[in-house]
Amino acid sequence: MSDTLPSNTNVLEFPYTRTTGPILGPFLTALRDGSILGNRIGDKVYCPPLEFDPDTFASAEPDMVPVGPGGEVVTATWVAHPSGKHPFDDPFAMALIKLDGADTPLVHAVKASAADAVVKGTRVTAQFRDEREGAITDVYFVPEADAVDQDLAVDPAAEPVKITTHPIALTIDDPYFPHKIRFAEALLEGRIVGQRSPASGKVYVPSRGYDPMERVRMSEADDVEVADTGTVISFTQLAPIQYHGQTETEPFIRCSVILDGADSPLGGIDIKHIPVEEFRVGMRLQAVWRPAGERKIDELDNRFGSLPAGVIERWDHTGEPDVATADLPKGTF
Amino acid sequence: MQLNEDIAIVAMSQTPSHRRYNDSEVSLIMDCVNDVLSQVDIDRHDIDFTIAGSADYLSGMPFAFVANIDAVGAWPPVYESHVEMDGAFAMFEAFVRLQMGDIDTAFVSASGKSSPGNPRHVFPLQGDPYYSAPLGLDSVTMAGLQAQALIDAGKATEEDFAQVVSRSRRSALDNPNAQVAKDVSVDELLAKPYHTAPLRNHDLPPISDGAAAVLLARGDKARELCENPVWITGIDHRLESHHAGLRDLTTSVSTRACAEHLGVADGSLDVAELCVNYSPEEIILAESLNLGDNTVINPSGGPLAAHPVIATGLIRVIEAATRVRDGEAGKALAHCSSGAALQQNLIAVLEGDA
Repeated sequence: MSDTLPSNTNVLEFPYTRTTGPILGPFLTALRDGSILGNRIGDKVYCPPLEFDPDTFASAEPDMVPVGPGGEVVTATWVAHPSGKHPFDDPFAMALIKLDGADTPLVHAVKASAADAVVKGTRVTAQFRDEREGAITDVYFVPEADAVDQDLAVDPAAEPVKITTHPIALTIDDPYFPHKIRFAEALLEGRIVGQRSPASGKVYVPSRGYDPMERVRMSEADDVEVADTGTVISFTQLAPIQYHGQTETEPFIRCSVILDGADSPLGGIDIKHIPVEEFRVGMRLQAVWRPAGERKIDELDNRFGSLPAGVIERWDHTGEPDVATADLPKGTF
Repeated sequence: MQLNEDIAIVAMSQTPSHRRYNDSEVSLIMDCVNDVLSQVDIDRHDIDFTIAGSADYLSGMPFAFVANIDAVGAWPPVYESHVEMDGAFAMFEAFVRLQMGDIDTAFVSASGKSSPGNPRHVFPLQGDPYYSAPLGLDSVTMAGLQAQALIDAGKATEEDFAQVVSRSRRSALDNPNAQVAKDVSVDELLAKPYHTAPLRNHDLPPISDGAAAVLLARGDKARELCENPVWITGIDHRLESHHAGLRDLTTSVSTRACAEHLGVADGSLDVAELCVNYSPEEIILAESLNLGDNTVINPSGGPLAAHPVIATGLIRVIEAATRVRDGEAGKALAHCSSGAALQQNLIAVLEGDA
């Protein structure tokens, strides 16, 4: 790993929003308000409540039944190394708990001092968190002997829980691949390095480390420097939609360029200072580099297939005449 | 299932299992594709159907499954499908597609890079989004519950788990693709501390990067391409509830249903390559498949020695098929599981021409 490059660690986030429906809604609303509900299907009470009869797969009615707060451990495992996504950071038990009044067990966390405090047959009881939002994590369990009386503040005017949010965040640590390190180091020096396929002779920029057409790997011996000038082969105008993580607010041009000396189109080049009515396929562009020492490649990851804006400040028209449509570079296809 | 067409594995390939493979998932698959193509006299453009198994969440690259097609060759366009599941399930789809009788060949690949992410953070996301994902209920914790349920039911002991690990890691010494291989005694293993009690570190699979691929062919085409095709004489998969509280964790009713349907719960198997991701699973699977002393379990070392998620199940197929092809086994079984604690199970029965 090069010491001039940052580590390539990213957080992948997806903000899921889900409706709750007629059975999960009352269950989650009850948790927020400090109680636990199961539902009756046939002659059984299920907790967690189910939207379908597991024997017939017919839809279940919202026949909600109070269960717990006490229950009995059916099976437990002692989690000595919590994952960071678990309800507790200290060791705890994950258990199947059959709540009083329910016929089926619920998987949930039991906070206890030691593994032998939570075993098959242990009586446990629910404890509610101070901050509750209508989620399974509003509650946890403790051995009965550890339970404390709770005076829960409940807002009787609060709306039922109809929508829940489930933000997902995964930390991804993906060290730069060898060809990406060489590409990044060259960018910091003001050079653009691609790779020439040993099979076809075509030059790919940036390279993926292999020739996707001939399906052969490429090595450092295949590295080749290309120019920082090129020809626009296509473009579109983007009107940014304000999704989670969007940083753009104004419409801009996104174009593909084939650099002089390259065969693969370089996509994802954003143009913000040339009016769209003046932008054309065939237009000749010149990269304007940020000064050495101010170049940043944070945007670069193992997949990012363009030139980072942290390195190339913008692309200016070279002033050369446009390339005629018939003379446009052919690319790799 | 009434089979209309005889389908065989005619070529296969797998990469070594890497703790961290510092290049693209595509390049891993590409090695397998080119290896498979080198084994048979066929041009890649003449392969009728292509299917891949992969999961973008593992390496944290949205649409990685699209880039992966580079490995197979996306130009000219190919007839292509994908499952966000183990490659063994991709092979199931390819098998079903070949049953239609209008195509002769199908290429199946599987790849997984678990190293960039944290599997204990990724896997809860395949669970119920309201009830279990917010608890971070991961495969390891579910395996811990399953292990304790086995012990509480008197069906297994911690020593049984250690025996599975000891034998698997010793078997892996003969597997050049294994990641964890060593000769370690049951007593040594039992002296280690718990990870997720009653499981210890070694009862868990390694974190791995890797890929695998097979080429399937139909009837005469299989005989034309290969001197010793390995016939898939049965394949089935069944699913159990995703609510752990609705399952008996000490048995695998879905595996048993598959085995009975295919008529292999009769002790006739010479080799069984099982997706034992956690050591207690072998005890459950051996019971559900009714495996006796005459069946060699996981001669490769199994997933406890190499676990490139998504490729793990297809590698079971390859390991079992290799032993049939080489004449070491007359009838072999490959098993793959999906979900936590053996929630979904697939088995394939493999036999030679003899």
